[in-house]
Amino acid sequence: MAQYNFKNITVVPPFKDFIDIVLSKTQRKTPTVIHRHYKITRIRTFYMRKVKFAQQTFHDKLTLIITEFPKLDDLHPFYADLMNILYDKDHYKLALGQINTARHLIDNVAKDYVRLMKYGDSLYRCKQLKKAALGRMCTLMKRQKQNLEYLEEVRQHVSRLPSIDPNMRTLLICGFPNVGKSSFINKITRADVEVQPYAFTTKSLYVGHTDFKYLRWQVIDTPGILDHSTEERNAIEMQAVAALVHIRAAVLYVMDPSEQCGRSFEEQIHLFESIKPMFGTKPLMVICNKNDIITIDELPEEKRAQLKDLEEAGVPILTMSTVTEDGVMNVKTQACERLLAHRVENKIRTKKVTDIQNRLHVAMPTKRDEKARPPCIPPSVLKKRAAMQVDAKRRKLERDIELEEGDDYTLDLRKTWDLKNPDEKYDVLPEVWMGKNVADFIDPDIMQKLEELEKEEALREQAGLYDEDEESEDEETQDMRKTARKIREKKKIMILESREKRRVQKAKLPRTGKKVDPDDMEEQLEELGVEFDASGENNFGRMRSRSASRKALKRKREESAEPRSVSRARSSSQAPRDKSGMRDATMVSKAKKVARKAQKPRNMDAKKGEGDRVILNMKPKHLFAGKRKGGKTQRR
Amino acid sequence: MAVRAQFEGNNEIGVFSKLTNAYCLVGIGGSENFYSVFEGELEGAVPVVHASLAGCRIIGRMCAGNRHGLLVPNSTTDQELQHIRNSLPDAVRVQRVEERLSALGNVVACNDYVALVHPDLDRETEEIITDVLKVEVFRHAIASNVLVGSYCAFSNQGGLVHPKTPTVDLDELSSLLQVPLVAGTVNRGSDVIGAGLVVNDWVAFCGLDTTATEVSVIEGVFKLGDGQPSAIQTDMRDSLLDR
Repeated sequence: MAQYNFKNITVVPPFKDFIDIVLSKTQRKTPTVIHRHYKITRIRTFYMRKVKFAQQTFHDKLTLIITEFPKLDDLHPFYADLMNILYDKDHYKLALGQINTARHLIDNVAKDYVRLMKYGDSLYRCKQLKKAALGRMCTLMKRQKQNLEYLEEVRQHVSRLPSIDPNMRTLLICGFPNVGKSSFINKITRADVEVQPYAFTTKSLYVGHTDFKYLRWQVIDTPGILDHSTEERNAIEMQAVAALVHIRAAVLYVMDPSEQCGRSFEEQIHLFESIKPMFGTKPLMVICNKNDIITIDELPEEKRAQLKDLEEAGVPILTMSTVTEDGVMNVKTQACERLLAHRVENKIRTKKVTDIQNRLHVAMPTKRDEKARPPCIPPSVLKKRAAMQVDAKRRKLERDIELEEGDDYTLDLRKTWDLKNPDEKYDVLPEVWMGKNVADFIDPDIMQKLEELEKEEALREQAGLYDEDEESEDEETQDMRKTARKIREKKKIMILESREKRRVQKAKLPRTGKKVDPDDMEEQLEELGVEFDASGENNFGRMRSRSASRKALKRKREESAEPRSVSRARSSSQAPRDKSGMRDATMVSKAKKVARKAQKPRNMDAKKGEGDRVILNMKPKHLFAGKRKGGKTQRR
Repeated sequence: MAVRAQFEGNNEIGVFSKLTNAYCLVGIGGSENFYSVFEGELEGAVPVVHASLAGCRIIGRMCAGNRHGLLVPNSTTDQELQHIRNSLPDAVRVQRVEERLSALGNVVACNDYVALVHPDLDRETEEIITDVLKVEVFRHAIASNVLVGSYCAFSNQGGLVHPKTPTVDLDELSSLLQVPLVAGTVNRGSDVIGAGLVVNDWVAFCGLDTTATEVSVIEGVFKLGDGQPSAIQTDMRDSLLDR
């Protein structure tokens, strides 16, 4: 079912705002920096982009207007007619059509100028072309000034139209001005229509909703209709006529027999006759209002005869008084029932009804056995139902507690626990004990088993199984035990005392700090099986001499190889570094060869050695700067 | 009486609650509004208990039960089971079921005497259902939907089934279940009856969107008010036809 909701059409800005919006958007959303010395292609694309962007923005905005405003041809005829009456169909269509043309023209302008831009040979020329393009677009929009204003007006008005669903069950109230139509709708729905004692208080359609037979009903209050030809009717009346013609509703024609509305009884009957063609096959009723002033029976003979004629023509006549509310509900019920019957009858003729035929069927069970299956309702509920008890005092619900306690509220799950012993409710339940899931060991018969065990134990006790242990020991052993206990205690004390004594109170000298007597040392080491000569050349035996100059600790280096000639004897102060620690010349040359070979891979990387980890340039410029597509590395 | 309720803005209240003639389980939610609807309405007639199954609040779809017992899926934790056991009356048997189709609420629909189950349910589970719930078990589909628990709701007094169930099927089901049945909707035209409605022999709870027509059908077929199921064919006919 189509929903007629005109409330969320976007606002149509006046042309000045429109242009401001588009131009500022173009300025914000396109690049802004350009220089003369840039490549000409770059300058061209810069300005082309501006022109295209402005065009696209205009295009989108205009498209939004065109799509969002309802198309009269797609609307329900009721709404189409209503909009024709209120906003003039031609004007409306023309406005939308011109907006559409403007959109088209703007597109063309942009296309032309983008083409021209390709021949722009300097920044200045390109800029002038852009300026011209935007200027022409704005001029085109300026011509739409009145259309935009008109559409905004329509939008505001249409969003305030009552949301009438033309396909819903509807009661339509019509009649002369001031006969009490609005009072009636106020009585049966919660709509609050203004009621005043003069004609044409109601100037547009009003909708209220009411309930009947589990269904929702729409009640439409129309402005009063005067009795003249359709051409002469004004916009206010025409709304009522549109509703009368197009909405499938029960029509309630309200009359005022007391003639307080300023129209004579005959005029009212005449109006009824003249608008009758519009009713078609809709269920129709004539309501005589204000029966607190004059009832039908009190009417003069000729008037009653006219009513009778109507009744004979198949139009039921009801009376009511909106002041005393006499008969109001009766009118509503009658109207609703007639319309419902009418709609159901129409529906049954269509195919749709077969789909829901099964829902009208109540399947009653056929008995398949003799087993009784009574419902199971607790006696407390039955008692309450029988007593028709209305909740006198409401129990305090969980929600009330929650509201009272606010943030402090915590859900107490154990509240509902139903245990044999209510004191156990809040006992701490271990879930896991000694690494085992307690629930795995729950035994439903545990209490029974425990009882059995206890019984067995009691039997054993009775049989005297545990009595022997007492008094079995004689005095001697008891004495022995006593002494043993004393000894154990004494031992414990002694251990404690010795520990106390052995505890070191002062700082300890480290082992290396102590002077070791050579004799002791010799003895100890010999015990371990090490030959030790305290007087020899070893470190231990070396004593500080009396001379002031110390003897070098390290031995002098000796020339490892024989000098090649006596005449060119080298100064033997120190061996060169590359030869130190080498046995002889062959070893040196071998080592050199190995070293050179090891250096080979590093040479490939231009490294000095394995310790060379230098990176000369962390960010080589050629890899991180320069012309790349899509901005720079930092900004994309 | 039928009551409208909502669980945290969700109309599928059958998902978050389980109602039987002996107890009512309610999912643990953020606030107590939903719980208190049940608490207020059941008013001491049966215990209303907060529960979760396998840490989920969708308990209505996970468990199946009636006055005699409650079946919970294998994924229920020991603590949850302990809590449910402690809260329910001793006459109600609580049993964990090893079943591949672990959403028991979706595959089992039952009252105190009969149960409809999914055609693929384990034979062992069927036996457990017979023993624990003390019901006759029928393997059946509703309107060619095998998830019988989702597409129907019935008490000892009546039942509501998927709106597309053909009349012939309705009669057959009704004879199986031995209660009057009607095809209908809840929650303004939703066909998942089991999710939108929980019912026992004296009260029903349905989603907040349920229309007046739907409520009156529910009250009629479950005999919750003074009405009888046959009223649906007579008094309600026009309202049902002209929706």
